[in-house]
Amino acid sequence: MTTADGHPASRPDADIVDALRGRGLGVGALVFEGALLVALLSALSILLVLLADVVSGALPTFRTRGIGFVLSGLSLSPDTAGVLTGIAGSVTIAAIVVALAFPVGVAAALYLEEYAEEGWGTTLVDTTVRNLAGVPSIVYGLLGLAVFVPLVDRIGLGGVSHGRNVIAAGITMAVLVLPIVIITSAEAIRAVPQTIREAGFGVGATRWEVIRHHVLPSALPGILTGTVLTLARALGETAPLLVIGVATGYFAPPANVGVLERLTGPYTALPVIVFSWSRQTRPEFLETLAPAAIVVLLGVLFTLNGAAVWLRNRHDRRW
Amino acid sequence: MRPRATATAAIAAFALIVAACAGGGTTGGDTDVGGGSIAISGSSTVEPISALVAEAFKSQNPDIGISVEGPGTGDGFAKFCNGETDISDASRPIKDAEIATCEANGIEFIELHIATDGLSILTSKQNDRISCLSKTDLYALTGPESIGMATWSDADELVSDVAATVDTAAFGPPHAPYPDAPLVITGPGEESGTYDTYVELVLEPIADARGQEAATRPDYTASANDNVIIEGIAGSDSSLGWVGYAFFLANEDKVEAIAVDAGNGCVEPTPDTIASFEYPLSRPLFIYVNAQRAAENPAVAAFVDYYLSDGGLQAVVDAGYVALDDYTEARTRWADRTTGSSDARP
Repeated sequence: MTTADGHPASRPDADIVDALRGRGLGVGALVFEGALLVALLSALSILLVLLADVVSGALPTFRTRGIGFVLSGLSLSPDTAGVLTGIAGSVTIAAIVVALAFPVGVAAALYLEEYAEEGWGTTLVDTTVRNLAGVPSIVYGLLGLAVFVPLVDRIGLGGVSHGRNVIAAGITMAVLVLPIVIITSAEAIRAVPQTIREAGFGVGATRWEVIRHHVLPSALPGILTGTVLTLARALGETAPLLVIGVATGYFAPPANVGVLERLTGPYTALPVIVFSWSRQTRPEFLETLAPAAIVVLLGVLFTLNGAAVWLRNRHDRRW
Repeated sequence: MRPRATATAAIAAFALIVAACAGGGTTGGDTDVGGGSIAISGSSTVEPISALVAEAFKSQNPDIGISVEGPGTGDGFAKFCNGETDISDASRPIKDAEIATCEANGIEFIELHIATDGLSILTSKQNDRISCLSKTDLYALTGPESIGMATWSDADELVSDVAATVDTAAFGPPHAPYPDAPLVITGPGEESGTYDTYVELVLEPIADARGQEAATRPDYTASANDNVIIEGIAGSDSSLGWVGYAFFLANEDKVEAIAVDAGNGCVEPTPDTIASFEYPLSRPLFIYVNAQRAAENPAVAAFVDYYLSDGGLQAVVDAGYVALDDYTEARTRWADRTTGSSDARP
């Protein structure tokens, strides 16, 4: 492309100038750009059609029932059926996930990033964790059925459901999201500049003090964002719950029982309600109530994602 | 320091909210441990009836905890005979093998016939070429010998062969030649009592006579979700499928019932023909009550009392099934706590 004396040939030069100014694009380039745009638009339009379909199905429910739909429990009658039982189950599962996966996941990530010596051992652990994050959720459901349901029953928290309760569900979901918590936390910790640690050590701080007062606070926004996003995943999962015995039919607790009895009895979750309503005989359940439940579920997920974005923007640090 | 403090506060606030919701939000959930609870499992066909009864019963007895689920008749009996449930819904009588399991675990049951269902053979609204099929036809189209048949007319040869070897007076004459149209079959899967009933009422007698295994062809779309079956039937012009009567009733605007001929002419499924068992695919629906639990747990006894009252049985019609003309037999069996299977199928 260069002449004998080392100067650039004039043709390619002109092409480059034209390309940089956005003029004279080849047909191939235009087709490529068009194809990219079509790909983007089709992805977006599928999402929009889906949303429009769900929302239009849900509108009659919200118009006639209003907030009552969110505040009533399970029922076989379309006029009184609501999602409160599902919200209660989902929130309880989320609370257990936060209580279990968050501390364990962050601790594991801290160890991997701050304490563990680089070597084949850490590489192996790192690869395993990444692979675990990609394991289909149904596999965790089988794990829950084989291990956590009997375990919960064994330690006396089985209740009338023999371990097929919200406690086993929370533990299963916590294990399901644990690899993702570890990965996102490790990345947040890795993003803290080495200079901050060195400055800490420079003034005589111990490793623990550096982590406690500098690394962890700096990494916290990233860790929080990742955790909230994994919560959204835990709230949307259905398959593992179906495997470990979530109630798909009608159930109602006695009026006056303690928290423990409620936790150890049958339970349901928002996505499971969508699943079981799609099987009901009365067409209203499939046509208007299930979409309304999906809207509630999406509302919860969007709120969580919004909280994640807010946390990131509010606490993000740039170095 | 400020961002750290806010972040810590955010975690604390989040944890508090979650804890508060977890404590206060369980209003609609879960069941108690003591004697005041009733567990019902079994047929997904009967589940709507039991759930409606349970909901009405619960509104009168708020102190009692109830759960109703519908994994299928077979799964329900597995739990029932293992002592995990108090009442088992069934869309067919209990099998001998299941009775043996119950006996081995020392569980005695009271069998109560609570409603009648008509297994509805369906096709799409657009299909005007098929309006009546005999059991002979259904065997040729969906039986074990029809594997691989992709159009209705593929079964022409088989049905004439079947008609020649079995007693068409008992199973009805063939309605061949069939249209040359795709044969798209959607139905319940093997876990379902509706599948068992179809095999037993339609396929088994003919399969036995022809020395075949009593089963459907494996190459059809099976679903545990009756609404998915309805969509599958409505989605193809020349479809064929079967569901319980309630799902046909709820989707009459989407699908068409095919009359069934078992040697006495074509009979449409209607409440009258189903109740009188004139419709050849009528089947009884049962609840099985654990006799020991009924004696020990006042909640179970009160629930079955309510189930068999006029108010409770209103659920049968509300759920889309056909009520019996006379509940004296069931009420007598319950009052006397008669255990065992009656075998006397109507």
